[in-house]
Amino acid sequence: MDGKKGLGIMRYSSMPERREGPVDPMPKPAGPSEEGGGPRRPETGSPEKDNLLKRMRKVDPKQAERYRQRTGE
Amino acid sequence: MRLFGIETEYGITREDLADVDPVVESMELVRAHLTASFERRWDYAGEDPHEDARGFRVSGLAQDREEDEFAKLDAHRPFSFHEMKSDLVLPNGARFYNDHTHPEYSTPECRTLKDVLAHDRAGERIVQRAADRRNRALGGAHVQLYKNNTDFHGHSYGCHDNYLVPRSMPFPQLVSGLLPFLVSRQVIAGAGKVGIEAQEAGLTPGRFQLSQRADFMETELSVDTMHNRPILNTRDEPHADPKKFRRLHLIIGDANMCEYATALKIGTTRLVLDLIERGAAPQMELEQPVAAVRQLSRDIDLKASVRQKNGRGITGLDIQERYYRAAERTLAGIDEESDWILREWGETLRFLAEEPRRMIGKLDWVTKLWLLETFMQEERIGWDDPWLTSLDLEYHNVNPDRGLYLGLEAEGKAWRMTAEEDIEQALSAGPSDTRGGLRAVCIRRFPDRIRSVQWERIQFAGGVTPLVLEMGDLFEPADVVRCMAVFESALSPMDAVNEWTGRKDWGS
Repeated sequence: MDGKKGLGIMRYSSMPERREGPVDPMPKPAGPSEEGGGPRRPETGSPEKDNLLKRMRKVDPKQAERYRQRTGE
Repeated sequence: MRLFGIETEYGITREDLADVDPVVESMELVRAHLTASFERRWDYAGEDPHEDARGFRVSGLAQDREEDEFAKLDAHRPFSFHEMKSDLVLPNGARFYNDHTHPEYSTPECRTLKDVLAHDRAGERIVQRAADRRNRALGGAHVQLYKNNTDFHGHSYGCHDNYLVPRSMPFPQLVSGLLPFLVSRQVIAGAGKVGIEAQEAGLTPGRFQLSQRADFMETELSVDTMHNRPILNTRDEPHADPKKFRRLHLIIGDANMCEYATALKIGTTRLVLDLIERGAAPQMELEQPVAAVRQLSRDIDLKASVRQKNGRGITGLDIQERYYRAAERTLAGIDEESDWILREWGETLRFLAEEPRRMIGKLDWVTKLWLLETFMQEERIGWDDPWLTSLDLEYHNVNPDRGLYLGLEAEGKAWRMTAEEDIEQALSAGPSDTRGGLRAVCIRRFPDRIRSVQWERIQFAGGVTPLVLEMGDLFEPADVVRCMAVFESALSPMDAVNEWTGRKDWGS
């Protein structure tokens, strides 16, 4: 299977905003500032949609070619 | 509930140098963590990678020859062995050192997913802070670190997950119960990779696969870790009382950036170990497990079928589904964390079968594939473009100003299970209910009195007879908490060891 098939293109605008995370496995008791002590709401605001693409375009296309490591475990 | 922990070898490079010396860079990186002079504390006496869990001792490892050759080269360097290892035990109970030319961060032993996630993330922060210090000394952002598993030239490095299991669990039972699960775990925990490699062979571009490590799995069982890598590593190095415990040392896993993937990787493995211990693991045998690892990794549609010994084919998702069903039947309701794992495991398998894009921000391979496909469309490039390999690498950069995953997370598009305060806590203290937390207390309270540390033992300086805190059988949470309280309140290590030993002798 080559990589031509996949998830289908999703635009950044179609990516849902950060949703509530999974339930804390060790939930704290509900407090006045919490909504049940389980999932946390996003801490960051709405992003500019092209920020990450800008970051990706800055990556040197030859970076991986230069990257060399010794074998580890 | 069992203990677990994660060891991560980071990739390291210097972008201002044409030829990077990984020994020097890894050593300098670890030492940059220190504000004071380096002092050796780690005691290697308890480490022996030649003991095999199948009941024998090997005379040599596949990597010994290569290691010997490197040792000869390293002998000409102006550093001692201990300077090169730069083995640090941190005030959160973790170990940070130079392992095989990679900076390695080993979390302290954890009992909950919440703790292991926080300590895994703390590890990312610690290595990046060391890089920041090193870069300040170098005068530029030259050192970059990668939480990944390949250099795309056939050199892999590991992210190992470890579990404490009772010695009474027969090893053959462990093997038969785990192999199909580990072969298929990558559908959840794969970090995704552009291209195909082989051990010390170049990259064939143009394919995306689920796992970074699949190309490097060469056998079903082996004590080796650097060559002839196994699906299930048989190293018998329990770091605990060997009569009572084993340490299951899994080297097949990828280094995950997504917290959710890390939680499911560790959580589902924990449940499968519980199943095996209860004799409730699904009965299945794959005909060619090693080939199956690669076959499943190279099928991003998750439709590939691998052959069982009974002649029937089965997909990776279906293998996982069988384990999930067995776990649900046997383990539902035993505790909150198990129920969380079961719920998320089942939902993940359903989404992967029906609508994988719902796992963006939760599973690494899905997230990375989405990023790359988006970029390919924007830039009108194909899978054979080498830019994609560089983007794959940069996904794993732990520098928050550059890393693609960390950028995604900063934009609020990755699921978080940790809060910043969890990570801050994990930077300065160990888990409150494991010997990792006790080790942390000792490091913080008596930093100048510690002579040496191993995972299962701390030796303190002073006194006529050795002053040793033995932790090889210290796993009951209540015992750990009591021992921790003794070391928190004692005026000296001698007082603490004597009081704790006395309490144990009196059974209180």
